Amino acid sequence: MSEKNQSVALPDRSPVLAMALAWAVPGLGHFYLGRRRTAAAFLVIVTATFLIGLSFQGRLYSIEREQPLTILATFAVYGAGLWNVAARAFSENPVGMILAPTYEYGCAFLLTAGLMNLLLILDAHDIARGRKP
Amino acid sequence: MIALIPTDHFVIMTLYALLVSAFFSLLWRQDRRERWKLFATLVASLVLGGLAVAWLMYPFPR
Repeated sequence: MSEKNQSVALPDRSPVLAMALAWAVPGLGHFYLGRRRTAAAFLVIVTATFLIGLSFQGRLYSIEREQPLTILATFAVYGAGLWNVAARAFSENPVGMILAPTYEYGCAFLLTAGLMNLLLILDAHDIARGRKP
Repeated sequence: MIALIPTDHFVIMTLYALLVSAFFSLLWRQDRRERWKLFATLVASLVLGGLAVAWLMYPFPR
């Protein structure tokens, strides 16, 4: 399967749909744009990062009024799309376990997974618009 | 399952460096050779940089 390398807009592909798919499942936006191998690699990397964060007892942040920085952290974690939604729905302890020795690492992995996927959303947009080869 | 979770700082840092490096090498480069080159550069920078910062912080444990 060859990847598309031309730097032109894809008229039959909607940038908005590509971004929505990219948010929902890591790599799905790239899959929609025809970059299947890259999409599979992104799916594995972002999902692994997210699952490692969960296994490390990291925290799925929610906004707290007393701590304004949680707004940014919540935005980052929600970047992981449906993985974040599913984890909040099915996890026994979505706020993590602060006493776990791996808690801080888990938070870092969860935030990183969300931020990675936010970058993938922007990347899918640029590819669909023809701004990136 | 719990026993499989690493708690060693260096192992976790290396795992993090590998994932982040793989992600950015795929995102920023199109050519396979260029991707491997960036991946190696990022992994080395993150791991060696982490060790350097740890070494500098060693005299200041708190």
